[in-house]
Amino acid sequence: MFQLLQTKVVENSSIMVQQGKIYIVMSVVTIILVGLFIYVATVDKKISTLENNAKD
Amino acid sequence: MLRARWWKILSVILLIYTCTYGFLVKVPKLDDRLQESIRNFFFHVPMWFGMMILLFVSLVYAIKYLRAANPIHDVYSMAYASVGLLFGFLGIITGAFWANYQWGSPWVGDPKQNGAAIALLIYFAYFVLRGSLIDTEKRARLSAVYNIFSFFMLFPTLWILPRLTESLHPGGQGSDGNPGLNGKDMSANMRTVFYPAVIGWTLLGVWISTLHIRVQLLKLKKDGLL
Repeated sequence: MFQLLQTKVVENSSIMVQQGKIYIVMSVVTIILVGLFIYVATVDKKISTLENNAKD
Repeated sequence: MLRARWWKILSVILLIYTCTYGFLVKVPKLDDRLQESIRNFFFHVPMWFGMMILLFVSLVYAIKYLRAANPIHDVYSMAYASVGLLFGFLGIITGAFWANYQWGSPWVGDPKQNGAAIALLIYFAYFVLRGSLIDTEKRARLSAVYNIFSFFMLFPTLWILPRLTESLHPGGQGSDGNPGLNGKDMSANMRTVFYPAVIGWTLLGVWISTLHIRVQLLKLKKDGLL
């Protein structure tokens, strides 16, 4: 089943499968990067809350 | 500065640009040995640039600590050193991964590889030293002194010795450029991604360092040491 899916010929000409499918790699890297940024920003926010609490 | 927002947003923008346009920009084909893997330049090399910058900031705060014995400077110095070391570690891992496909083995004993490993080991000792001292003032003072030593050890290990022998990296004996890259040889296209990438990755490192610093400062305040 999985093998079938892997070898399935994608018969569309969407931008994702052009140029050796590099856009797929680009998208995966971008998703990871955005995920990491969201995480770091969340930690940043949490520390800000702690700092504000410490001030009071 | 620690809580300012503009440079964090700049880091996000530059890195999203790097991770998208970095895959799309036209790279030179040359003799087809590197092929598309030259795009690693936007990821592997900025790790080392970022490491040098973060470790330099750490050095500045180490010197500041020795001048004024302000515990806040020790916190800054330690945070920048640890993220700098993280960058160096990622640089060596990505380098080994790339080398495995490019040079045939993850560790080929290239002078730059060996030098980088030695430099990182010297910095590891910084954390061993910190961990082995209980008295906070003594720890801060000794580690500041050691920090200065380990920063200047980066020069022979990363910048001088790799130039003196033949190297697979740029800048070895008989080739142009510095041990990191040959700036004159980089195509104009690649430059439009490479320099933003360096700034973006470095700012991300600074961001993570400031998070460390803020947590440490909160801890010191809670313990009444500040």
